[in-house]
Amino acid sequence: MEYDGTVMVEADGLSMRFNLGVEKSFSLKQWFVELGGARRKKQPPFEALRNVSFTVRRGEVVGLVGANGAGKSTLLKLVAGVMKPSEGSVRCGGSVCPMIELGAGFDPQLSARENIYLNGAIMGYSRAFLDSRFDDIVAFAELWDFLEVPVQNYSSGMVARLAFSIATQTEPEILIVDEILSVGDAAFQAKSEEKMLSLMRGGTTVLFVSHSVEQIRKLCSRALWLEHGVLREDGDCETVCAHYLAASGL
Amino acid sequence: MIAALAQSARKYGFLLSQLISRDFKVKYKRSALGMLWSLLYPVLMMCVMAVVFRGVFRFSAPGVSYLAYLMTGLTLFNYFSEASNLAMSSVVANFSLINKVYLPKYVFPLEKCLFVGINFLLTLLPLYAVILLTGTGLCWQHLLLPFDYLCLLGFTLGMGFLLSAAAVFLRDLFYIYGIVLTVWTYLTPIIYDIRMIESGTLAALMKRNPLYHYILFARTIVLFHETPAPRQFLVCALSALCVLLGGALLFRAKQDRFIYYV
Repeated sequence: MEYDGTVMVEADGLSMRFNLGVEKSFSLKQWFVELGGARRKKQPPFEALRNVSFTVRRGEVVGLVGANGAGKSTLLKLVAGVMKPSEGSVRCGGSVCPMIELGAGFDPQLSARENIYLNGAIMGYSRAFLDSRFDDIVAFAELWDFLEVPVQNYSSGMVARLAFSIATQTEPEILIVDEILSVGDAAFQAKSEEKMLSLMRGGTTVLFVSHSVEQIRKLCSRALWLEHGVLREDGDCETVCAHYLAASGL
Repeated sequence: MIAALAQSARKYGFLLSQLISRDFKVKYKRSALGMLWSLLYPVLMMCVMAVVFRGVFRFSAPGVSYLAYLMTGLTLFNYFSEASNLAMSSVVANFSLINKVYLPKYVFPLEKCLFVGINFLLTLLPLYAVILLTGTGLCWQHLLLPFDYLCLLGFTLGMGFLLSAAAVFLRDLFYIYGIVLTVWTYLTPIIYDIRMIESGTLAALMKRNPLYHYILFARTIVLFHETPAPRQFLVCALSALCVLLGGALLFRAKQDRFIYYV
């Protein structure tokens, strides 16, 4: 692993607000109701993240811990560029590969072969790259016998295997992983974990969310603990995990 | 700006082609006639409308074949109505993707306009079949038609940007636009001749409709074998450019807020 100290992710004062009530349910009907004088109760905006700052250097494997709704996934999405922060900024020093929800780009009516190209295109791969990796993808997912079957007839484990296999073909500089290591059966889980480990050993910078503290302890060198959108602790993985577990009453 | 566009086109061209081919595969999956439907459908539509409007209501297009008249209008208008409708729902329909992967959001309405555009090229076959079978005949001016199609594409794309962005904030648009399209169909001289309109103000208003001009441009060539006047070129190009630019700018200004309305 190279620790040359290059800053790969720099988050500075990140805040993310959602106006849950207002923004999600706007419709013409509501607008007319309001014209008639019925004022909607103004809901205060929901702050998914509040003033979060941190830096990640090349080769670091950083785990994010925190309860449901603490802002972990929002933070990953901001780093991946899927959302723009309400305040603050985030800069990445290299190519980012977000594995946030795998297989989001699958079309259930298409076969695995077709979906490999479709999903690959969505992940930003080129045709030439996919041509050269096609066999690896199918072999890793162990789906040779089902290549021409529409994905809607797959079991959810098979879909997950295919998605994981496509997503892990690159060696990105920054890898963003949200709860994807629990795919497939026991054998595939072991295999996918091995694959992730080899990516991490290759010097990739990783941001990693998992509900399994055990997994974070195993894979990460450093951890960030988020609580209600605030960065509660940032430091050595063992210490932060211990504090987090103690606070959760475990 | 141009360099950035070219780079983006190279980067996302493969994605666009994959999305388009997906749409084709899904569209014709499990239909026995498959792609043939793209050819049959406009012909069947034309037959129904010809029976109703020429047979029952005695509509005609003086001096030219009514079938060719109808078909020219239908082919162009159907492209607009189908592409703009699909483009409108394209961003909302792909929220699950937009929410997870970084993709330029303009890809979705653009893809729908191109996908229907390829289908549109297929529907030119039945159009030319009608042109030949009705004895309307060909002329060199047909070579000018791609200009008209490009204007139609630009206009439709602009509307697609506008509608898809608006639909994110106002889901009622899906229903409203259905009505708007129906009204638009009848306000565009597809089945009748604009000279049948007696009210001067209504006729003047109808000439504000860019689709009227794209259809008029095509009819000038297809039915009358004439070169459209320079003014017609100008009207078509300018209306398409304005709507395209307006739609694209609005889309760009609003796209970062889409994610809040998932």
